[in-house]
Amino acid sequence: MSDLNLLLKKNNFSVIWILAKRELFEFVRNKPRIITAIVQGIFFLLVFSAGFAFIGIRIQGISVDPRAFTASGIAAIMILFTGIFGGMSVLRDKMFGFMRELIVAPVNRRILMTGKTLGVALQTLIQVEIILCLGVAFGFFGYDVSLIWRLILVIPIAFLASVGIVGVGLTISTRIRDFQSFGLIQTFIVLPMFWLSGALFAFNNVPVPMQIAMMMNPFTYSVDLIRYVVLGVSFFPFWLDLIVMFAFGIIMIFLGAWSFNKMELS
Amino acid sequence: MNENIIEVKGLTKIYVDGNVLAVDDISFNIKKGEIFALLGPNGAGKTTTISMLATLLDVTKGSALVNGYDVKKESDKVRRSIGIVFQEPSLDNEMKGRENLELHGILYGMPKKQRREKIKEVLKLVDLEEKANIYTKNYSGGMKRRLEIARGLLHEPKVLFLDEPTLGLDPQTRRKIWEKIKELNQGDSEITILITTHYMEEADELANRICIMDHGKIIALDTSENLKKQISGDIIDIEFEKIEDHTKLPIIISSLKQLPNIKNISFGNSSQENMSLDMKLPPGINPEMIKMRMKEMMSDPKKLLKAFKKYPMASQMFLNAPFEIKKRISNLFTEDFIDQIPEGIKEEIIKIRKGELTESNQFSTPEISVSCENGSKCLSPIIQKINDNGLSIKSINMHQPKLEDVFLHFVGSAIREESSDRVKGIKSMIKMRQLRK
Repeated sequence: MSDLNLLLKKNNFSVIWILAKRELFEFVRNKPRIITAIVQGIFFLLVFSAGFAFIGIRIQGISVDPRAFTASGIAAIMILFTGIFGGMSVLRDKMFGFMRELIVAPVNRRILMTGKTLGVALQTLIQVEIILCLGVAFGFFGYDVSLIWRLILVIPIAFLASVGIVGVGLTISTRIRDFQSFGLIQTFIVLPMFWLSGALFAFNNVPVPMQIAMMMNPFTYSVDLIRYVVLGVSFFPFWLDLIVMFAFGIIMIFLGAWSFNKMELS
Repeated sequence: MNENIIEVKGLTKIYVDGNVLAVDDISFNIKKGEIFALLGPNGAGKTTTISMLATLLDVTKGSALVNGYDVKKESDKVRRSIGIVFQEPSLDNEMKGRENLELHGILYGMPKKQRREKIKEVLKLVDLEEKANIYTKNYSGGMKRRLEIARGLLHEPKVLFLDEPTLGLDPQTRRKIWEKIKELNQGDSEITILITTHYMEEADELANRICIMDHGKIIALDTSENLKKQISGDIIDIEFEKIEDHTKLPIIISSLKQLPNIKNISFGNSSQENMSLDMKLPPGINPEMIKMRMKEMMSDPKKLLKAFKKYPMASQMFLNAPFEIKKRISNLFTEDFIDQIPEGIKEEIIKIRKGELTESNQFSTPEISVSCENGSKCLSPIIQKINDNGLSIKSINMHQPKLEDVFLHFVGSAIREESSDRVKGIKSMIKMRQLRK
């Protein structure tokens, strides 16, 4: 109840919005970052789709164009990369001192965190849509009017997926002190979640141990649902994907909020 | 009129994980409209104090009221009452100057219209109107500091906390910021300013009252003038021409002491005083240990030689030591050791051993240092008294004690008080806390 009251205070909305805007601006104004996102997208799409072009992929008995398969997977992966490292912008704020300005303000920390999460989630949406639009431009998804609403429907799904991932980033960044730990996080969290998500490999094409590992990766379900929205086929039933995404999102956001609240600035 | 805007009572902070007693039971009040400086060396507990007053750190013990609100219970209200400029930069460099202020205004719940007007006002105050639309990463250090001060003022706080506001800035920029701080305090709003610094001249220049802190304790708290008076008023150093008749000196001193306003007379001038055995020890060294070591050395020429070779300071100390000690040391060095004595002091030791240098020669050109209430009034009677006694003055130098003298006086003496008691105190306190849990 108190959380609801907190949200309903008018000023808190403006605070959430300005903090989200701050994250967004930082992304949009940073031209090299946008160029990188686009070029990287083109690179990923062309290389991976070329490499996997001759692999037969069948989902639920339906044959799928491998290029469309990888393109939708890469779009989903953008949520992972941008979300975790976006959530870790807390670390940057901590190191450059701006976090002090935020936490000394008469604003509840949960509000600060909500703003931050929203901003990073919006960033990831831009990234996802860039990849998908490039995929459409390359003709990987074929040309179909339904693609328009599919691309729109991806937005809430990707948003939901990124909330959990941003929570991971937030939790990590409130606990570490410097950028040196980035490599560790890349190796032990981001890359396993990436390779075992089914973004590049079809679930039914890999040996059973790997299948089990993939099923234990919460991000697998996000990839699956996004693929379901874009291509219309998925390995798991969409309701299972949704349940896992909701559960993961809620757990991670609470964990993130908890560690954000506990964070002390020395 | 004279109501207190900040009341601190028995404030204490212990960092449990580091077993550090950062702030030790301090109490003070700050009046409305005052500029109050916390002065102290690095690690004295100034920033910890400010952080507790700003509700950034939990209070271990004691209480503090800011603008009438309890920092422990009413942190939101306290936060609304204060503006703070941190020791380290805290701007978002990826945003423009104006955007930093905008965001601050929103964080403090200012309505749009008021925000716009106030931003204009504070930008003008710190002369950054023309630079407001530049990214703050392109600002100079001084500009960043000014923008931070502007930001701290945006929500019209009752108290402004400035934590080392001019740290690392060049002299001109520092002056400019001082002017701004003074301007703020003199305006209609009568904002109260709490500033921490380790620059003596900064506290001297700005503050109505100065609170000297060290090791988390308040050592002195008064106006800059009163603090300076506390050590000795004015200081007059007098150097005499060569004196043949040494009995005259004590006579002069006793007659000078009868003059009004004279507080204290000492041999040697104040700057040399520090070099004697009573010198200021670096922190962390136990004076008792040193005394024990010294005693040990005074009876063993080999150890003494080692010390002279290892520490250049030891030779200095020897040269400044009273004659009695010099003689004892010199007698220690028998013929076997003489060649090994370092050059700087060898000559003196040989002279003393040969009896060429005696106690009386030591004061051949004596100096005395007179501290008095009002130097300019004392000066002519002093000179007259000296002339009456048939001594001639080589040089005379009057100066006011600087705040630096005061600072060193207080902080220096406090270091000596540090002993195992303090550590014991912290440990028992932490234990008690753990037991309570």
